[in-house]
Amino acid sequence: MKPNAKWSAKDVITTVLLSVLLIVIQLLINMICMANHFVSMVLSVGITCLVCAPIYFLMVRRVHKRFVSLLYMTLLGVVFLIMGDWFLLPYFIVVGFVCEAILWKTDAYDNPWRITAAWTVYSGLYQGVNLLPILAFWEAFTSNALASGMSQEYIDSYLSYYTQPGWLAFILIFTVACGFVGSLIGSRMMKKHFGKAGIL
Amino acid sequence: MGKQDAGFAAPVRLCVFAATLLGVFLTGGTERTWIIAAMLFLILMAQKAWKQCAGFAVFYGILSLLLYLIRFHGLRMAVFSEFHVFLFWWMTPVFMAAWNLVSTPPGELSAFFARVHAPTGAILGMLVIFRFFPTMRAELRGLRESMHNRGLTGPAQVLRHPGNTFEYILVPMLLRCLQISDQLAVSAAARGIDTPGPRHSYYERKLRARDILAAALYAGGILAFLLTGGIK
Repeated sequence: MKPNAKWSAKDVITTVLLSVLLIVIQLLINMICMANHFVSMVLSVGITCLVCAPIYFLMVRRVHKRFVSLLYMTLLGVVFLIMGDWFLLPYFIVVGFVCEAILWKTDAYDNPWRITAAWTVYSGLYQGVNLLPILAFWEAFTSNALASGMSQEYIDSYLSYYTQPGWLAFILIFTVACGFVGSLIGSRMMKKHFGKAGIL
Repeated sequence: MGKQDAGFAAPVRLCVFAATLLGVFLTGGTERTWIIAAMLFLILMAQKAWKQCAGFAVFYGILSLLLYLIRFHGLRMAVFSEFHVFLFWWMTPVFMAAWNLVSTPPGELSAFFARVHAPTGAILGMLVIFRFFPTMRAELRGLRESMHNRGLTGPAQVLRHPGNTFEYILVPMLLRCLQISDQLAVSAAARGIDTPGPRHSYYERKLRARDILAAALYAGGILAFLLTGGIK
């Protein structure tokens, strides 16, 4: 199968189905992590990237066509648009193009290291979900937080993880590391289960 | 009028969804979004969707109560933060409108999109998204039963071997997803998805007077809501 071949109905269905699965898992993990604000602000994105990596691996390797990552990330951006963060749609489209650039080489879809690189870069950039609303829309974020009944001190302590360089560096490193480890697990799972089943 | 006939046509549900998004995200006064929620309860009631209505009423009622206690009685949340309570309260109208849209019969939706000449890929993708939740719920139930029969769902087993549990859930679920996508692709091909000519559907439904009235009233209501409350 050539990566630049035309998309079939099966490719569209597989990509959309696995993209929706990825998005639902991401949102579920985020919701569960909301129970504790340290886990929510510091660990949730890393956990998401760890858990979702095998699904991304399967999607890319199964469809084996260019623009799979772009379609998935556009759908993710649309979900954030529906949830009010409209600026995340263009952001994720750009992230999608970055991942496509990493996977552009002809044999990249069979190369686990290329897919690992794409997912690891995506993991780091996925922190934009938390960072962009805070950094770029600080006033709107604060006014919404105040409207929800939070005091200014509480907001400051809540957001301290994203305003202190040490915490910010830890969050980014943790997320990228989780994305990388998740990709290794994904690569292993492809060999152990899906390759043997002959579906790649 | 039966429950099936009471449901609004697909374009009306799409219009309600789009208007809700505009109303919720463009309003200058987020505290006033309860008006949109009230309008959506009326939309659900007009469609005799009593179960959805009751579920959302309980959900919205609990969130409203929590928000009231946070604002006026200084309640501090032990688990979810106050911000998340507000976020879910604010977003409830979007959830309601999205649920109303997702519960549209897929045949009606695809017929509508085919009529407006949407690309085939987009129609296929949208149908997959809309059928995802009921399909996956059934699959997960089967998976849980299967794991339970093998003694893999006990808390001790899950806590001692989280990696294995992750694999036991993920691998069958992904294999099933691929199987479903193959079946859907074959089904779509058998129904002539690749046919270049115009597509028609048995489910095509003309807009009735009550559909037009509901869409007009809802869109007008959102417009009035934005004009009176201010726009961001």
